[in-house]
Formats: sequence, C-alpha cells, structure tokens
Amino acid sequence: MARLDKSRTSSHQLRPFFTSQNLLNRADGSAQFDFGGTSVLCSVVGPAEVKIRDEKLDKATLEVLARPLVGVPGVKDKTIEQNIRETLEPLVLSGLHPRTLLQIVVQTMQDDGCVQSTAFNATMLALIDAGVPLNSILGSVTCMIDRKTNQVLLDPTREELAQAKSTHVFVFDNKAPPAQSKGDEDDVVMEDGDRVEGHVLFCESTGVFTEAEYFECYQVCYKGVQTVHGFLRTAVQKKFEKEHQQLQD
Amino acid sequence: MKETEPSNNEREFLLQALKDGHRIDGRKFYDFRTLRLSFGSEFGAVEVQLGNTRVLAKVSCEVVRPYTDKPTEGFVHFNTEMSPMASSTFEIGKQTNEEILVSRLIEKALRRSRAIDTEGLCIVAGEKVWSVRVDIHFLDHDGNLVDAACIAAITALMHFRRPEIVVDNGEVTLLSIEEANPVPLSIYHIPICVSFAFFNKGQHVIVDPTYLEEQVKEGDMTMTLNIHKEVCALSKAGGISLEMDQILQCTRIAVVKVTELTEQIQAALDADAKKRNISRRK
Repeated sequence: MARLDKSRTSSHQLRPFFTSQNLLNRADGSAQFDFGGTSVLCSVVGPAEVKIRDEKLDKATLEVLARPLVGVPGVKDKTIEQNIRETLEPLVLSGLHPRTLLQIVVQTMQDDGCVQSTAFNATMLALIDAGVPLNSILGSVTCMIDRKTNQVLLDPTREELAQAKSTHVFVFDNKAPPAQSKGDEDDVVMEDGDRVEGHVLFCESTGVFTEAEYFECYQVCYKGVQTVHGFLRTAVQKKFEKEHQQLQD
Repeated sequence: MKETEPSNNEREFLLQALKDGHRIDGRKFYDFRTLRLSFGSEFGAVEVQLGNTRVLAKVSCEVVRPYTDKPTEGFVHFNTEMSPMASSTFEIGKQTNEEILVSRLIEKALRRSRAIDTEGLCIVAGEKVWSVRVDIHFLDHDGNLVDAACIAAITALMHFRRPEIVVDNGEVTLLSIEEANPVPLSIYHIPICVSFAFFNKGQHVIVDPTYLEEQVKEGDMTMTLNIHKEVCALSKAGGISLEMDQILQCTRIAVVKVTELTEQIQAALDADAKKRNISRRK
C-alpha cells in the first residue's frame, strides 16, 4: 500500500534521522533531533540554582519548557511539557542533586508531524550531552491508523496525520526485552515467544481504535524504537569518539 | 537565574587587550563575526548564526479583518519573547530590560522604517487583509542579539512566500502551493542593524560585541541603515556620552558593514532559490 509520503515505500518505515549534539554555547547540554522534516532543538541547564518555591529537599526539580515554532505557547505545548517532565522524572537520578534545578527547554524548529516523539528523543540526547545521570535511555516514535485503509503507519508526516483515525505516541526504555534477559522478576514473560516486549514509559493515544489495533500499534512502535535506540547509541558513541580524539590532538 | 558578572581578571584582560589594539576573539575592532544563514524546508524559516549567537526566525501569515480606520493596511507583527534556551537569565513571563530593548529595536528597525509594504497585504479593502507574523526565537546568546535578530527577521521576510489568492465577487479563495506559485512579500528596502560598543571612555569602538564584551562595555549604540545609505533608526540607550564626530564615524563604518551584510544575505537567498528552482524577484 502506497503512502502519502512518497519518499517511503513501506508503512513501517521511519524517516531518516539526524542529530547534532552540543551545538549551543550557553546551555550545559543541547541536542537537535530530526525525523525527516521535523526538527526539535533541546537545551539543558543544570544542576542550577532553584527558586525556593520549587525547591525539593531530597531531589532535583525538573522544569520543562516547550516552545512552539509559531505563536505563543498554548495548551498543546503545556501538554508536551507535562508529558516530558513526568516521563523523565523516574528516569533522571534526581536524588544525586538535591535542592537544584534541571531546566529543559524544547524548541520546535520545523514541524512535519510527530513533534512530541522528536522532542522526547532530542531531550534524551541533550540530557546525555549535559552529563545528567540517568537510569536508562528512552526512545520514542509515533504511529497512526489510517482512516480509510485501517493501516498502521509508522512516523507519519503532517500530510498523513490529516488522514488519521487515531494517533499513538509511544516511549520505551532501552532495557533488554525479556526474551534475552535472564527472567528478572519485573519482566513480563509472554507466552508467545515471537512477541517482543519492552517497558512502556509513556503512551498517548487519541482517536478511535480497537484493542487489537492498539496492540498492533504497540508492536510496530516497539520495533521502530529499536532503530531509534540503535541510532541514539551510535550518535552518543560517535560524539564521545570525537571528543576523545580532540583530547589527544 | 541571576547573571554572573565577569571576573576582574577577565575584565582587565579584555580592556588591556583593547588598549593594545586586540579583541580577545582575534577579530579587528570593526569586524563582524562569521555570519551563517541556513534555510528550513518551508518558506520563511531562517536560522542565523553570528559566531556563537543563534537566532531562528519563522514567518507565517493568516487572513484577518483590518482596522476600520486603516481599511487597506495589512499587519506585520514581531514576536521576540526570549526563552531560557538562549541564556538562563531569561525567564518565561518575566521580561528583562534587555528583552524589551531588543524587541523595541526590531520593531523600530523593520516596522517603523516601513520596510514591508503593508498596503500590498490588502486583499479586499475593509474586509480582508494579510497578517504577517514573524516569530523570532533566540537559541543561543553570545552577544549582539539585536543584529542577529534583525538579519534573521528581514531574511525570513524576504524568503517567505504567501499563498496566491483569487478574489471573485468578494469571495476569496486561497490557492495551495500545488495550484499556484506562492507570492513573495513586497519589501521596499533591507534595514540592517549594526551594534557598536564603547570602552575606555569612548576611546575604543568595536562592532558586533560578544557577550563578554557586552558585559564589560561602557556604552553602546545600534544603528539601522539600508544599502542606500539611509539611516532608518538609531538607538543609544544610556551609557557614556559620545562626540558628534564619533557618531559620524560610526555611520561610516555601518555603511560598509551594511553593504557587506546585504550582499551576503542576497547571495544566500539566491543560492537557496537556485536550489529550489524558483526565480527570485529582485
């Protein structure tokens, strides 16, 4: 089945990724993440001085600001802010920096669908760049179900999203799937050996869909996220290799 | 977060270097930092890098009803809210003095100098006009936000194309990019800001100050000129007093800088137009 996005042949194909890290001079860490025509820039400052009102005695305060490309921040941006903050809170080892502030600013640079997923990935790279201690790495992709064909499309463009019956944003961590792990207690072992299972950190679905469709989206996104995780890993690795080389010169 | 002052050592080093005729980043006194312009995939999206300073401008438009006393005039709005991304001294919902100054300067330079033809934005008099909105996002602050923002805004406006319209008996239809070629805005002239900083009681004048230089400076002045050697705006908000001759000398420097920058902007726009395979109206 052909997609509206002519550059892709398969419905489960992701757009090309691009990332650039440590590109801002004033922030402690920064990263840009692109999914094809969608681009998000994220900056991280911290640990920094916190307002007494927001101070937490036993851990760092997380502050996320999302800035839209056009206009003043609205409800949509506030939702993204809250989603990112609440997903990151268990991920960041904030107990290591009590009474400090970790400020994250997410700026949309180009919008061609899936801004939230792009923002999640950009934030993750920026946090790594800032050297913030984390207990795992997240990766995110979005998928949608087409209104006419009922097909699951991974990483839709803005044009494709206009035809969506429902959209699903998934965030997974990078812990190994239970098929490969040694059966940790908290891993859910599936009866069906072929089905992969990851830890869902965040999921937001809008629109009308059935239970079966939801689980199909879940599977598709999980497979998509593995590519994202691989890419994030390579990106960070390349950055460290480059830094190491510069140190030796 | 509070701004941290530079240390005495840094300050003295910078001032001593200026006395010896050097700037700490190796530039000459009247040199701009390297300007880099990159365009987004859509029309009207430009990222400007002036050394380490980064500004993103995005132009968008919508159809609105004009004011009754000016039925044929469209609108041009500038949004220059600064986020803590540029520098953690900026806070959301709390404007700093610097922020107000920058946004007023941009308004003066681009809107009040009538660089954009607002009458050309009229669709049906008294009924429908275009409202053009320029969102300026400050991404990284390494001094001279005004010049970078001004370049970003005017380049984005020149890069922008609005959808073609068809008016039939007062019925307005917007045509998509596939149906008709989008139309560029009509721009009368290209105002460019050039900022100066003064040190040692006005003895040393530098162009395009960095963040550190801005913190140490004794006074500043921003001139807005166009390539026709017309002064569009001049802003000297406080700082040390200047001799008349100094201001005239600054104007002469600014003329040269504006010519250089305008050429650079034109070249970047031409290169982008060539890549998109469209002709650019001069």
